[in-house]
Amino acid sequence: MSSGHVRVDHLSITFAGKQGPVTALAPTTLHLAPGSFTALIGPSGCGKSTLMNAIAGFVQPAGGAMTLDNTEITGPSPDVGVIFQQYALFPWFTALGNVKFALKRLGLPRAELHDRAMAALEEVNLAQHAAKFPGQLSGGMKQRVAIARTFAAGPKVLLMDEPFAALDAQTRIVMHHLLTDIWQKHRATVLFVTHDVDEALLLADRVCVMSQAPGRIIRDYALDLPRPRSLRAQADVLLPIRDEIITLLHPTHADA
Amino acid sequence: MADVPQPRRVRPKLAMGLAGATGLGRPLLSFGFILTLWIAVTGAGLVPEQIFPSPLSVWQATVEMAANGTLATDLAVSMRRAAIGFGIGSVLGVTLGLLTGRVALVRALLNPFLTLLRPIPAIALVPVAIVWFGIGEGSKYFVVSYTVFLTVWFNTHHGMEYIPDIYLRASRSLGASRMREFLTVVIPAAAPHIVAGLRLGVALAFLSLVAAELSGASSGLGHRLQEARQYIRTDRMFALLIILGALGATVDLIVQWVGRKLVHWQQG
Repeated sequence: MSSGHVRVDHLSITFAGKQGPVTALAPTTLHLAPGSFTALIGPSGCGKSTLMNAIAGFVQPAGGAMTLDNTEITGPSPDVGVIFQQYALFPWFTALGNVKFALKRLGLPRAELHDRAMAALEEVNLAQHAAKFPGQLSGGMKQRVAIARTFAAGPKVLLMDEPFAALDAQTRIVMHHLLTDIWQKHRATVLFVTHDVDEALLLADRVCVMSQAPGRIIRDYALDLPRPRSLRAQADVLLPIRDEIITLLHPTHADA
Repeated sequence: MADVPQPRRVRPKLAMGLAGATGLGRPLLSFGFILTLWIAVTGAGLVPEQIFPSPLSVWQATVEMAANGTLATDLAVSMRRAAIGFGIGSVLGVTLGLLTGRVALVRALLNPFLTLLRPIPAIALVPVAIVWFGIGEGSKYFVVSYTVFLTVWFNTHHGMEYIPDIYLRASRSLGASRMREFLTVVIPAAAPHIVAGLRLGVALAFLSLVAAELSGASSGLGHRLQEARQYIRTDRMFALLIILGALGATVDLIVQWVGRKLVHWQQG
């Protein structure tokens, strides 16, 4: 079974600007192995979110090709789940209602729909908050609901666009553990966009570094380390990579 | 971090007293003040009673209209017209707003025209309505529903335009069909604007109703107001104006309350 294989080949994306088209993503090639966890890191405006939006089917490419399990990606699909930085929960539904929304397309009987939605919330330790509306939840709780909702839809690929950037440091650590646990259970192919080097090193099997705009992937690290990771315990491997990435992200600092 | 003592805000005595007046206190204070002023002006005998009636004669006029039964009938007739006109106008407004917001062809065909209609005041439509529908109920329904329709349409359409893209992206990547997206994402996302439009529509329903009743009606609060002019009964006019004001405010409060229940997730 090899599902969740993403192939992005020479993909380029342009946006209409005031003075003609603007290149948001220079031709980029990226293959994601089924069940892998890849972090995509780069300076702001480098096109990492654009690349993610293209794989999500939100943005039409100007050139190149994208496939999921050898099928062309032409638009959003439940095979490709997305976790947004702003959570994107529907505020008019409860936490449970949000998760049910993802399960609706399966056409389950009422009781099973409810049970599966509750089980998904249980997985992110939010069963006791099922009846609350997003407005009544903290940022970390909202993102947990969003994770439960996205996994409930059973995606083969999970795209995460700086999902924890809006959370405080403590909550972020909790979320890292939670995400790692759930991912190891579901084994979707993850593409995790971030600008936090430590986050990338702690979570991913592979870290791709993008250049300044118009972005391209300029470095690709494989990290074969056991989880849960810590920068201190695995310092001899992680710290040199960390220093390299930071230099790559801020080339001007080295010159100054 | 240690607690930094905050400088105490010193408020003048009067403001302090006002802050204490909460809930019903504030409006009662305001009404009491205006009423006192009114009694003082009319009591001083500066203006003839027939031009500017005292609160007492306005009260007596109200009692008189209540006793002879016209008040209850007028209220019922006017409320019925406002309600039916509002019903027709708001259903059409919401429906068309959802369509112009969602379907590019409908938008292209209707938006420029409807936008052009918006600045036409409702009163200007009354003559046309009378020619088309006579002085009976039809012309009232037409004027009210037309006014309500335009406002509700505009707000609904506006709400549809400002639906955050992220909701649609989330909905589609979760595999929702277009129909489910429309019913459970698009409509709730536009709901705060729709509700705001309905609330405006209620206020405009009363406004345009009275405009329609003032010329060419044989019943209703607006007609009674016009009749009072013929007999120079300013006491009745004042009574009717106050009733109209109170009625509008009450209905607005109810709509506001219902609206808050409907879009409970919208804060502030």
